[in-house]
Amino acid sequence: MKTQLTLKLNGKTVNWEGDSSRKLLDVLRDDLGQVDVKCGCREGECGACSVLIDGLLVNSCMFAVGAVDGREVTTIEGYRDTDRFRALDKAFADVSAVQCGYCIPGMVLAAEALLAANPRPTDAEVRAAISGNLCRCTGYNAIVEAIVEASEEGEGLW
Amino acid sequence: MHQISQHVMKKDHREKIDGTALYVGDFTQQGALCARLVRSPHAHARIEAIHYPRFPEGYYKVDAADVPGENIVHVVEDDSPVFEADEVMFIGDPVAMIIGPDPALVDQLVAATVIDYRELPAILDIHDSDKVFFDYHYHKGDIDAAFAVADKIYEEDFQTPYQEQAYLETQGVIACFQDGQLTVHGSLQCPYYVQAAVIKACGLSAAQVRIQQDYTGGGFGGKEAFPSFIAAQAAVAAMKMPGKSVRLVFDRREDMEFTSKRHPSCCHYKAAVKDGQVTALDIQVLFNSGAFTTLSPVVLQRGIIAAPGVYNVPNLRVNGQALRTHTVPTGAYRGFGAPQTFFAIERLLDHIAADLGQEPIDFKLAHLVKQGDATSTSGLYHFPVPLPQMVAKVMAASDFRSKRTAWAQPQSGRVRKGIGIALWFHGAGFTGAGERDHIKAVVRLRKLADGSVEVLGSNTDIGQGIKTTFAKIVANELDLPLELVNYHNPDTALVPDSGPTVASRSLMTVGELFRRAAVQLKEQWQDGVEQVVEEHYHEPDFMLPFDLPTFHGDSYPTFAWGVAAVELGFDSLTGQNDILGCWACFDVGTPIDEQIVIGQMEGGVLQGLGYSAMEQMAYDSTGRIRNHSYSDYIIPCAADVPKLDVQLHVEEFPFGPYGAKGAGELPLVGIAPAFIAAAEQALATRGLNHIPLTAEESLAYLSAGQKELAK
Amino acid sequence: MVKANYMPTSLPEALGLMAEEELIPYAGGTDLMVSEAPGRDFLFLERIPELTQISQDDQYLHIGAAVTFRNILASDLTPALLREAAASIAAPAIRNTATLGGNIANASPKGDGALICWAADAQLVLAAASGQRTVDIADFYQGRGTTIRRADELLVEILLPKRWLAGASFCKVGARKALAISRVSFAGLFAAESGQIAHLAVALGAVADTVVRRPKIDAMLIGKTFSEAKAALPDYLQAWQAAIQPIRGRVSAEYRKLVCLNLIEDFLVERLSSAHNG
Repeated sequence: MKTQLTLKLNGKTVNWEGDSSRKLLDVLRDDLGQVDVKCGCREGECGACSVLIDGLLVNSCMFAVGAVDGREVTTIEGYRDTDRFRALDKAFADVSAVQCGYCIPGMVLAAEALLAANPRPTDAEVRAAISGNLCRCTGYNAIVEAIVEASEEGEGLW
Repeated sequence: MHQISQHVMKKDHREKIDGTALYVGDFTQQGALCARLVRSPHAHARIEAIHYPRFPEGYYKVDAADVPGENIVHVVEDDSPVFEADEVMFIGDPVAMIIGPDPALVDQLVAATVIDYRELPAILDIHDSDKVFFDYHYHKGDIDAAFAVADKIYEEDFQTPYQEQAYLETQGVIACFQDGQLTVHGSLQCPYYVQAAVIKACGLSAAQVRIQQDYTGGGFGGKEAFPSFIAAQAAVAAMKMPGKSVRLVFDRREDMEFTSKRHPSCCHYKAAVKDGQVTALDIQVLFNSGAFTTLSPVVLQRGIIAAPGVYNVPNLRVNGQALRTHTVPTGAYRGFGAPQTFFAIERLLDHIAADLGQEPIDFKLAHLVKQGDATSTSGLYHFPVPLPQMVAKVMAASDFRSKRTAWAQPQSGRVRKGIGIALWFHGAGFTGAGERDHIKAVVRLRKLADGSVEVLGSNTDIGQGIKTTFAKIVANELDLPLELVNYHNPDTALVPDSGPTVASRSLMTVGELFRRAAVQLKEQWQDGVEQVVEEHYHEPDFMLPFDLPTFHGDSYPTFAWGVAAVELGFDSLTGQNDILGCWACFDVGTPIDEQIVIGQMEGGVLQGLGYSAMEQMAYDSTGRIRNHSYSDYIIPCAADVPKLDVQLHVEEFPFGPYGAKGAGELPLVGIAPAFIAAAEQALATRGLNHIPLTAEESLAYLSAGQKELAK
Repeated sequence: MVKANYMPTSLPEALGLMAEEELIPYAGGTDLMVSEAPGRDFLFLERIPELTQISQDDQYLHIGAAVTFRNILASDLTPALLREAAASIAAPAIRNTATLGGNIANASPKGDGALICWAADAQLVLAAASGQRTVDIADFYQGRGTTIRRADELLVEILLPKRWLAGASFCKVGARKALAISRVSFAGLFAAESGQIAHLAVALGAVADTVVRRPKIDAMLIGKTFSEAKAALPDYLQAWQAAIQPIRGRVSAEYRKLVCLNLIEDFLVERLSSAHNG
């Protein structure tokens, strides 16, 4: 038996039907082709699959698709044409914070979720905010620096 | 600093941050056949029979009987099969593969495949091993005489554990055989290694096998040899099902449990001290190779060459063995054998110094090698050794002496602190004569009629930035804007074999070939036409040829250098440690992009901090890896560390591009001994000769100290 | 055939569904979704106003079972003890969806939110279409992963007694500073009135099949003056020593026990030496 759902994905209304207990991650990647959402562990331990649901950061592997009925899901694709993304993009580029890149779409969305709630975070607040987004390449210095830089340079955006 | 060191926006920044870069798993299942491996549940057993379930239309098995070429995955020695046919050698050893369109059904078929095994005795501990895969020896000076006249002799044992690369993107490949042409693309470090393995397993010619690297979500050595295994398996399946894509992408648990990791080690060190100087070292190094040889010979070579550390010890005897056990095969991981022996030598010198009543750093500085000294393998340190200046920088940044003095006093209160320091090198590039005798790198530049330049080589950008740094070198030499010079994910059909992406060699060795090719192109430059230039590797004339049987000569053209101090606080109620600070200085020659190099150093340091205490992986009594998820193999998150303080010291290497040396592996290598030195001070103990340091063990020392205090 | 997505917007509607069908209450999903089990029928609770609010009366803080840890952290009503525990849970993305009710009903002894409820002697309101009941949290559990909740019932509200929450302490021992499951967790409540210990409650997480709370042991010190309590402390600790029978896992039973005893002792020594004017 299938359940019908309607959600907004990156600004577009999507009607989907299927097993509503499936992981949102699988539906996004396998059914809706949203491969900008990366899959790292499928058990909520790495943050690579982070998306925003109504603006809140969520691990899409730990979220049943049924729970997004009527809600708005934003992936990096739906975020990358915003001024806020451009500020983060520039800051990440300025400090070379992107290495292998696999954690980065989730990391950028974690940064957006932080800055939307706290536009001028301290270093420690940034570290806490991205503590669920593992990165094995950078040692985190550059990512923290980039988010702080974006918060300063992006004055007024958040 | 050289002007080329100035940072630019990384070439692959945009597609990685906006989510358009495609990693192998992003080529989703649609239209492809899902492949899953049927693995051994036993550490050691004979395969008596395989009973496959009835396969629905479109579902197939693939096993040793389907291998069209040799049932061998070519690495260094050819001892690992594509699929086991007679005997399984570790838990997870692949026996067969099931392929079909629906992953859920494939999983059911895997579960329904019954294999009759006759269990055989399994050897898990290296001390029980009955097979020595590799056994190396070297010596210099007169070790027996040195021990005979020693004032004091010290003997210690050291152990280091597995370390899992834990790259964020798991292993994966997709293979397709069409019109006599086999194509494999995936997450990998070394396209030509994969090609050689596929050629052998499939019985095809080089012209028939094309390997393409996808964007790769981290490697750290884990995607050096291992992709050859899954590529061979997927390729064999693809040949059975022409026209279909076979998709073999691991989930996290499979990846952590069954792919190669850092060799666990046991080292025995014996030192002779005469007149306050270490005059001789007698060293035995044992590495657990797991079930197959994989890269163990080269890992062991690097490990034993580094065994005396950065110290000038005139008399040496070094033995190293890589041993077989019925456990998952170990392999390459950033540092490649050196973190194990640097841990041992640094700890040993700390202990000898303490016993002699000296501050370890002063004792170490009094033993340092310098330019013109002989290396462990009787080659030469041809270039300046900048360790004294680097030590000074790290000690100043960390306020080392005052902290070290303060925390040497008896401590009370909930948090106990300590600080430690370690020194090390990393041999830059391939060990021994590998570059000259085996790799023989070739690079090309293709200048197009529009004036843009394609940089052609087989090295892969796995996050370390070579798309950017190679392009910077060529653009700089040709005076071209950087956007006109590009390096793409390699495709063996399009690029020459510039060798593997390993051994911190890409930038130093291949980068220099690109620089020379650019010089050549500049001399021949003609506007408006396409031109191709090629360069080949030549060993620099200054090198004393390395002889492997005797371990004699220059093992590396040069060395990168590292110094790090780690400051820890321990909670005396729980034993948990807190990393209060980490200060490091690295010499990798000229950074081709300062920010890229700093990023590499910071990332490597954090992996070293993880290796010291947090990252714990072990097998159970049956030989099964217990820690196979991110919730059970804990790697550091952003909240675990303060800002890491990394400085660069530049000692230019005249044979690297603009003075650059190998960089990628260096930062991880000596972090663990610095960490444990800090722990020994904080826990007021001596003799912490192993990693990882657990909270449980720390608490035992703290509790013992408490009792001592109460008396 | 099309099946409804069970996402009620009122409590009666939810209880009606629970009475009619076999549904798995979904309050955040961060524990449920770890397993790969397709075809489950979830009842999504996050749109039920009664379950997603925090309020208070004279005696209790009322926390809806589907209030997320994010909203617990955001509420002015949240006491410091619960705030500290909530902030220690996993990482922001988990806290944005995980709920206190889920943490309790999942019945893991490692739940940091549940630990606070144990220490505070919280009461749980269970509701069904046929009526509701209120139970002590200690009576809610039958063992690891099992509770007295009937298949037609929902955990709807947590009643957290406010009286003793002021002088409380929390400590979590995880494998790293965030994104970690407790290996040992401790919560302690302590209050003094007129120079005597008026209240003491210690709860220990991750050491047994359920959170460990021993009111009888705590009663050894309640009513005592500080100097009497100091004198009785060795006996009190000895009683805990006997009461803690830890499970072993990635860390040993001995370690868990030693850490528990250290944390209990430190908590009391600190309280008894600092709160002279209680």
